[in-house]
Amino acid sequence: MLTRARVLLVFALIVVSLGLAAASLMIGTETVSVHQAWADWRAGMTRYESPSLSILINQRLPRTLAALIAGAGLALVGCGFQALLRNPLATPYTLGVATAGSLGAYIAFVFELGGAFRVLGFSAVEASALLFAWADMTVIYLLASRRARLSPFVLLLAGVTLSMLASSGIMLMRYFASPDRLVMMERWLMGGVDIVGYEAVVALAIGVTPCLLILLAQGGKLDQLGFGHELAAGRGVNVPRLQAVTFLVGSLTTALIVSKVGPIGFVGLIVPHAVRTVTGSRHRVLMPVSLVAGGGFLCFCDIVARKALPGETPIGIVTALLGGPFFLYLLTRRHFTDWQA
Amino acid sequence: MTRCLEADSATFAYEDGLDVFTNVCASVHSGHVTGIVGPNGSGKSTLLRVLCGLLKPQAGHVMLDRKRLSSFSSLERARALAFLPQAVVPIFSLSVFEVVCLGRYPHLGPLRGLRPHDRHVAERCLHDTETVSLRQRDFMTLSGGERQRVLLASILAQEPDVLLLDEPTSALDIHHQVEIFALLRRLARNGYGIAVVTHDLDHAAHFCDTLVLLAPGKGVIASGLPETVLTESLLTTAYAAPIRVAEHPVTGAPLIWAETPEEGNEC
Repeated sequence: MLTRARVLLVFALIVVSLGLAAASLMIGTETVSVHQAWADWRAGMTRYESPSLSILINQRLPRTLAALIAGAGLALVGCGFQALLRNPLATPYTLGVATAGSLGAYIAFVFELGGAFRVLGFSAVEASALLFAWADMTVIYLLASRRARLSPFVLLLAGVTLSMLASSGIMLMRYFASPDRLVMMERWLMGGVDIVGYEAVVALAIGVTPCLLILLAQGGKLDQLGFGHELAAGRGVNVPRLQAVTFLVGSLTTALIVSKVGPIGFVGLIVPHAVRTVTGSRHRVLMPVSLVAGGGFLCFCDIVARKALPGETPIGIVTALLGGPFFLYLLTRRHFTDWQA
Repeated sequence: MTRCLEADSATFAYEDGLDVFTNVCASVHSGHVTGIVGPNGSGKSTLLRVLCGLLKPQAGHVMLDRKRLSSFSSLERARALAFLPQAVVPIFSLSVFEVVCLGRYPHLGPLRGLRPHDRHVAERCLHDTETVSLRQRDFMTLSGGERQRVLLASILAQEPDVLLLDEPTSALDIHHQVEIFALLRRLARNGYGIAVVTHDLDHAAHFCDTLVLLAPGKGVIASGLPETVLTESLLTTAYAAPIRVAEHPVTGAPLIWAETPEEGNEC
């Protein structure tokens, strides 16, 4: 149960996360005075007349929104996958969704589809990444669910194998790519929320929001799954359906995010674990709080990427640099002694 | 409410084609503890899963109060029958009270929030299983016996009429085994119908009102009072090995042991 101290901590976590989102609006490579922007807006200037307003509305806000959506989505999917596969390391990333997405993007780069078309707010590169990432996860799911229930073991083996296949596909694409393409490809691999304008953010939000609502609705059932699929089934949970919904919707969410902001790792892995130490393991609390904290965490990483490190460091590097050591710290805290499949 | 759960000539086979049992009849009544016994591979656990609707028999039916179990929705079923699998290993640490509250699942609304009534039921289940003092403990830190009693509380929180338990005492020492069986008997006296799969024939003889004996490939070869089921000839057939039965010098219940091959070969 949530004790009073825990409720306060949860509240603090949410306030800090929202504070980080607000801070990421104000902090960046350009110094923008929010007062100036406010004054300009009060004076009736449009974003085309005021430089402050222009940066705030055209660059900062979409960037913060992209970080919020991506962080929230990755963290929530992490919660779902950890419960689903009864494994503290389980995320779509562990199963190779990012590698497959990268292969999709690389293929689009090599065949110079860059400006070929845009569908529903997705460029050719993004659409190709999305397609490959989700197709990869669907194939893994089909391989592991031939019998009525999902086998975490087969999932992991299929995931690792497909991931290696995708890696060699990536090598092949790199071999064929021209040097200037290679630079773009390398940069894509590092991830970034440097999104300008609203088309990409709106497309991301429209795709991800229903997925997140569906995942949040599975919370009570995922609690049951924590005690094994048989006890859950005995209590009336439709376990195969729960597994299919959580896996496929979670994979789609991740594929959408990877296609827009690149493979940003570690968020789905560490945010649920960190939040669990505060909220406990009930998914009805854990999932919404992870959602907010994931958004806040990615905003924080984006601030670090823009301010604390030289130049504008790709955010994927920052999440890994912050997330890796934190995960090792959790390991030393014997946080995972509970987890046994 | 008195309820009766029965398997009516049920046949079940797994996908690989091996018949686990054919034409099995077995029943669980309110107020009674039914023991399901038999050697490994005789289909005890499978029968339990067929009885609670988790596995569908290929032929025959499972009836709950003369209604087909398959006509119940899974939540309706979970409000009537509770199933406790063998060796439940959780992955999350939860408090004992939270674990018991998980049992309220089939009664919750679409938003799955706990109402005061649900907490009240959970408190009562803690009381019925004598686990009130463990209320705030982390489930992971409990001993085997304590875990089993808390898990019993959590399935009681489903407010079922029939409990189906798969080897609830298999990982416990003799004292805790007796404690769980005594608790089951008390619950049965309070009106629950209970079916329990067990390997312990002595406990089955002592604590169960009726027994169902299964043999590999033969299905149910005997059912009825423990004294009529636990006979040397029936047990020797079921286990395909010499089994001896005597009378317990203190309790008077059947006392069962298997002869070692050397003993059997003496001339």
